[in-house]
Amino acid sequence: MHTGINDIQQLLEGEGYVADRSLSTALYLAIQLRKPLLIEGAAGVGKTEVAKVMARALEADLIRLQCYEGLDATTSLYEWNYQRQLLHIRLQESTDLPLEVKEREIFSEPFLLKRPLLQAITHPKAPVLLIDEVDRADEEWEAFLLEVLSDWQVTIPEIGTIAARHVPYVVLTSNRTRELGDALRRRCLYLWIDFPTYEKELAIVSRKVPGINSELAKQIAAFMQMVRRAKLEKIPGIAETLDWSAALIALHRDHLDRDAVEQTLGVLFKHREDADLLRTQWLDHVLQGLQTVENTNGPWSQDTIDRAADQVLPKVTGSRRP
Amino acid sequence: MKRFGDLTAHVVTFCRALRVRGLTIGPREAADALRALASIDVSDRRLCYLSLRTVLVTRHEDFPTFDAVFAEYWNPPAPEPARLQDAGADELPGDGEGERPKPSVIDWLDQALQAEGETPVAAYSPDEALTRKDFSAFTASELDEMSRLVVAIARRVATRLSRRTRAVQRSHHLDLRRTIRHSLRRGGEVLDLAYRRRKIQKTRVVLLADVSGSMDLYSRFLIQFIFALQHALGQIETFVFSTSLTRVTDAMSEADLRQALDEVAQRVPDWSGGTKIGHSVRSFLHLYGRSLLGSRTVAIIISDGWDTGEIDVLRDAMDELRRRVGRIIWLNPLLGGTGYEPICQGMRAALPYVDVFASAHNLDSLRQLEKHLAARAR
Repeated sequence: MHTGINDIQQLLEGEGYVADRSLSTALYLAIQLRKPLLIEGAAGVGKTEVAKVMARALEADLIRLQCYEGLDATTSLYEWNYQRQLLHIRLQESTDLPLEVKEREIFSEPFLLKRPLLQAITHPKAPVLLIDEVDRADEEWEAFLLEVLSDWQVTIPEIGTIAARHVPYVVLTSNRTRELGDALRRRCLYLWIDFPTYEKELAIVSRKVPGINSELAKQIAAFMQMVRRAKLEKIPGIAETLDWSAALIALHRDHLDRDAVEQTLGVLFKHREDADLLRTQWLDHVLQGLQTVENTNGPWSQDTIDRAADQVLPKVTGSRRP
Repeated sequence: MKRFGDLTAHVVTFCRALRVRGLTIGPREAADALRALASIDVSDRRLCYLSLRTVLVTRHEDFPTFDAVFAEYWNPPAPEPARLQDAGADELPGDGEGERPKPSVIDWLDQALQAEGETPVAAYSPDEALTRKDFSAFTASELDEMSRLVVAIARRVATRLSRRTRAVQRSHHLDLRRTIRHSLRRGGEVLDLAYRRRKIQKTRVVLLADVSGSMDLYSRFLIQFIFALQHALGQIETFVFSTSLTRVTDAMSEADLRQALDEVAQRVPDWSGGTKIGHSVRSFLHLYGRSLLGSRTVAIIISDGWDTGEIDVLRDAMDELRRRVGRIIWLNPLLGGTGYEPICQGMRAALPYVDVFASAHNLDSLRQLEKHLAARAR
């Protein structure tokens, strides 16, 4: 029973994913209860990664559906292969088959283009279905998705009802650009992924960035903790941390200094305003904060970093943007 | 299985407590919670906590509430759920023996649903300046002009064409499926193209009008506006607020304008009292948010932003409203005065969440509003 969760934790670790207990518990329950798992959190905290790792851990195929405004049933469920239908009609031109037969032929399964949802339903082995950034699809589609998630069957007028061979494992992610409906939320288990703690981020950096020395990894992880206190348009997530680490290594930097950071700011911040804010108002303080942590004896931890940050960083009033 | 029965009873009470604090929890969630607990080691308190939270909470904002209720119900000194006999166990429906869990869940749901069906009544408090106003007549020409203008505005709002079709294809949308089907009759020759018509998507409007003392001058005018808008649009929900919130949609639908105005005056106990905007918006979200809000909803707030409540409440309420509607329009009659800057604290706190900030002090400003409704800000 309980070992199931530890197994999942180990599987995740084995796949290179640094998982905390809430994540492994949520995944375990999603598998046990066979309910979709809704993952929310800021962009770049590794939501999508969860589905990928889950698929590898379950040795299942990953089917991904990227949502966008205007996504509809034809692009997410199925579409007829019109070119092939036209071609077939031409080939059949000389035959004397009655119209009904011709029609039945071209509206049959070989002429069906399966989109991700139908693929997931008809897959021979239960796949992991990742419905990414579901907040970007509109409400009609959300209602449609809810129907699919409830019944696990799809009715195609020309063919009939196709029921799922295996109920897929479903992972939905949302960046909360739009509030999802209650009906969809209640259909799902819920996992919130926050920005990582220092310890977690250090573990991720050490594991994911080959050839990084432990000093630089510590500095990077601590730097990120401090930078996330600033009021930014887009707070950098783990993805940015990893890109930044790789950039620093490519430039043969083995420790953080003003020069190294300024050279690589563009990797960390996707908005010019954010980069400017950091360079002009925060960088000196953050570097000073790193020095403070350096000077304290004993191991680095979230605690020592928070204390140093409280001392030297500019005070930010008001709440951080969601 | 005595142990399981107890656990069931506790989960049900726990769910009820969460429900009372505003979380959306039904029998399915309660059943899932039981299934989840059945599949884990329930002596691990942290694991119980994480599992219940995963199953029962559906949004991050509810985590603190969940934590508080969890601490109340599952706290040490009894980490073993089987021994949890305190915490309101005596008010459980059913004694939790053996096969009883199911009926108790249903009883509990019944109660919960009944609680939800209660209609909110306008709060009366003696502090509120209770002055019921008699709405005397507007001049006939004013009324006519107002109605004409407002109908024009309302039409703009009411039929916004779907953005997605406009973005993808300027003209019509080819319906390939029907085209192919038609072509069969002509031996596969595509002669007629079938089109899909874009769906006209109606905008829903929610109007929150401030009728407190500082808005007194404009109240009459605004009530007219609300009334006309509602007539033209149909799909509009109207609320008035000062220290508390009252839904006046039905009153506004009275055919006779005069009668409608009288009714509003009677229904709003705190006409021209102080203002608690944040509190009012929050209770709106809480009571009506689920049924009325969505990305195709336009929220129009009419207020001068003089808030006597706590600013944090206002900010949080606006933040939530921002995420749950397509657009927020704030009409501020003071903006009409020359040299006005939104310096009052309430207005400043709300402004970052507002898409359109406009004045509403006379007919001219309403004409301006028509522009804002026609052009898409986002």
